[in-house]
Amino acid sequence: MPRAGLGNQTGQAYAFMAMTPVKPGEEAALEAYLHGLRGDGGPSPLAKLSRTHMARFVIVADFYNDKSWKQRKEEHLDLRYLIFTSNLDGDIETYLDELCEKLAPEAQEIWGRCVGCPANPKGQVLKHYLKHNQINTGIFFAAYQDATVPRVKHCLHQRERMIEFAVASQGLEPAALQQAFLHEFGGEA
Amino acid sequence: MTRRERVAYVQGVSAQAAPATPITATGTEARNLDGQAIAITVFSTIRPWGNVIAPIPGRIFLPILFVVTRRIPKLTVTLRQLSFIHFARWTVITRLPHNGAPQAKKRFRYPHMYFESNFNGGWEEYIDAFSHILTKGMTAFWGSSYGFPKPLPTAQFKQYINANETEAAHYYSAYPDATSSMVQRSLKLDDTLTPLKRNAEKMDPDEFAKAYRTFLTDVQDCL
Repeated sequence: MPRAGLGNQTGQAYAFMAMTPVKPGEEAALEAYLHGLRGDGGPSPLAKLSRTHMARFVIVADFYNDKSWKQRKEEHLDLRYLIFTSNLDGDIETYLDELCEKLAPEAQEIWGRCVGCPANPKGQVLKHYLKHNQINTGIFFAAYQDATVPRVKHCLHQRERMIEFAVASQGLEPAALQQAFLHEFGGEA
Repeated sequence: MTRRERVAYVQGVSAQAAPATPITATGTEARNLDGQAIAITVFSTIRPWGNVIAPIPGRIFLPILFVVTRRIPKLTVTLRQLSFIHFARWTVITRLPHNGAPQAKKRFRYPHMYFESNFNGGWEEYIDAFSHILTKGMTAFWGSSYGFPKPLPTAQFKQYINANETEAAHYYSAYPDATSSMVQRSLKLDDTLTPLKRNAEKMDPDEFAKAYRTFLTDVQDCL
């Protein structure tokens, strides 16, 4: 189990990482499923987790060994491994609760193909499995560590509105400018 | 607004307007992309002993580096200057949790470093910027890894990262059309706009117009 207080957190942002062994024979099916997660250009199922800034699934086939690097002995993974990492808002416990509920339909196809994953992976059993396979982060860098996903989205949208307003309101007299501003942004503070 | 302020403002808007479509993410596989956002995922194997580039073995040095960097945030100032990074992480893995057969229960012969970054722009430009701006930092992080060629010249370092990189099977960004600098500018804009929104109704028109002009001047670099 990961220890608290390591490099998983910076500001309010949390770096989660789970690395799980893929069952032999399931590699191609898992890869195909992950590649097709967006369907025909639709949203990622990870969009269901509203506290996720950015996340990825990666299947690692093996470590890279290069004889010219003078590594005394090669090292290989025993199986392929699935890595899931997420850069998320706030507390990991409640995030995993949310993940294990909202991603339950996909979890069977994803972690259900991994060694040790319980049957019917959802809820607390899936959460326990993911926490068991959590890898602690050494250093986590977040450029805007105190901004949550909703705040980032709000501010991006507001910036677009502000640009439009600034262009449209050029040349207005003070009273008209104030009225236009209050019409656009009044009552939001 | 004075002419000078207006020119500066319009120039700012022109230069920083949000791109409507993903146009800058280049130089990597399609599955590493979501709009403007790019994923890079790299494993490297850490040598058990020191060498000329990194005299202290990575198994000892990297955990110390991680702790010191976490405790002294100033050390990440240079990283923050690379304004195209959203999130990045470094992790040293010495063993993996055991899940039963057929997974082998063993400690790795060598520690392995996991690095991931979420950034925008071009893959090549990203590595170039890392190498030129974070030259010492890159040496500190990767100097103890097998095959690390030093950050400069960048061609060899790019080959090294390329060899150790793994393509994402699925990558997601909650705001794929936004670059990291757009996010940071939007947040800074909000900090300045909020007091104006709060006070706008209480001001008389001339007072508001003056405050608005000051606001626009202050947030030129955010728009």
